[in-house]
Amino acid sequence: MSSLTSASFGLVAAWVVISAPCRADAQSNSDSRLTRLDATTRVAVAAVVDSARKTRLPTEPLVDKALEGARKGADGERIVAAVRSLFSELRTARVALGAGATSDEINAGANALHAGLPMRNLAQLRSAAQHAGRARVTLPLTVVTDLVARGVPIAVTSDIVLSLVRSGLRDADFGLFQRNVRLDIEHGADAATAAQTRARGAILHGGRSSH
Amino acid sequence: MWIQRVIAELRRPVRMDDEFDRNVMSVVRSLPRHRYGTWARALRPRTITVRPLLPSVAAVFLLAVALSLGHAIGTLRAARRTRTRSDVAADRAASARVTTRRAVQFVLVAPTARKVQVVGDFNDWDASHDEFRAEHRGGGVWSVTAAVPEGNHRYSFVVDDSLWVVDPTAPRVIDDNYGMPNSALLVEGGDAGR
Repeated sequence: MSSLTSASFGLVAAWVVISAPCRADAQSNSDSRLTRLDATTRVAVAAVVDSARKTRLPTEPLVDKALEGARKGADGERIVAAVRSLFSELRTARVALGAGATSDEINAGANALHAGLPMRNLAQLRSAAQHAGRARVTLPLTVVTDLVARGVPIAVTSDIVLSLVRSGLRDADFGLFQRNVRLDIEHGADAATAAQTRARGAILHGGRSSH
Repeated sequence: MWIQRVIAELRRPVRMDDEFDRNVMSVVRSLPRHRYGTWARALRPRTITVRPLLPSVAAVFLLAVALSLGHAIGTLRAARRTRTRSDVAADRAASARVTTRRAVQFVLVAPTARKVQVVGDFNDWDASHDEFRAEHRGGGVWSVTAAVPEGNHRYSFVVDDSLWVVDPTAPRVIDDNYGMPNSALLVEGGDAGR
């Protein structure tokens, strides 16, 4: 055996030993539920989920987003784009809401950001909640997303929900407010007007306004 | 024989004059000395003698070092992989731990429907879960009451296995990723109903 052949053999053997765990690593970390995705999509989604895990972001919303796409028949490219977009929104939401935010809050914050709420408004909402003695902002953020989805402009929505949080409205009253606005809109009211009117009533009566 | 005499003469040690050695060394010292720089010395061709066994021993040693290194890295990666797997399990366990299940009623008015199911993140968007299959209560009203983990959820109704319908009474989520909207559901402690 020449010295060159010996050295080459050693290097090849080392590469095999070193790279085997790497290959196994890439295939074994993903959530078993992701097997519903095709191989390429699964690898891409698993990479995003892994990044979220390493940065201590909630991973369930990302897996859920991928599963939803698979169930709705979306192609792999779209699923990966949706998961990456959500990852970015989750990260931004956590920064805005602070390190003490729960997974539900971060998820609701990501949905609100996706609906168009600026990051600074998210941070304002958290700050207002703390001053008002509110522990969680999950429901206010859910209401933000709902109002925007029903046609209330984002700037109006942001002001309304911020005012409601500052007034110390409870979760049950937030639910009632959301229901009343929905019913008003279903009855033909202008979305922004309905939201502003119901918000004034909620603040005036401590959220106990009724339809 | 004359040849024997020649050999004997050649074998006889030659006695040199002491002055001769001194003269030779004096001439050598007077010659100009070659000065090599570091790089010149490094690049100067040399002849090296190597015993045949040495490269083989070196190759075996290098192989042993490489295998040991590979084994150590593999062990570290395996440990990290195990930790990552347990992280995945921990994520799901945390979800299960945080999410005490609460009974939630889902209602959809769909007079022409033949089948209504609820799918969402609480059942991995899998319509095969029987506990989320709504029953027709008459008059076009479909409903199902199912245990849903506490937390913030997204869901939708699937009518006749093909039509996705948001819950008209629930907050909406802007889910434009897949072109179909979803409803939001926040399940907290105490009775939740929708």
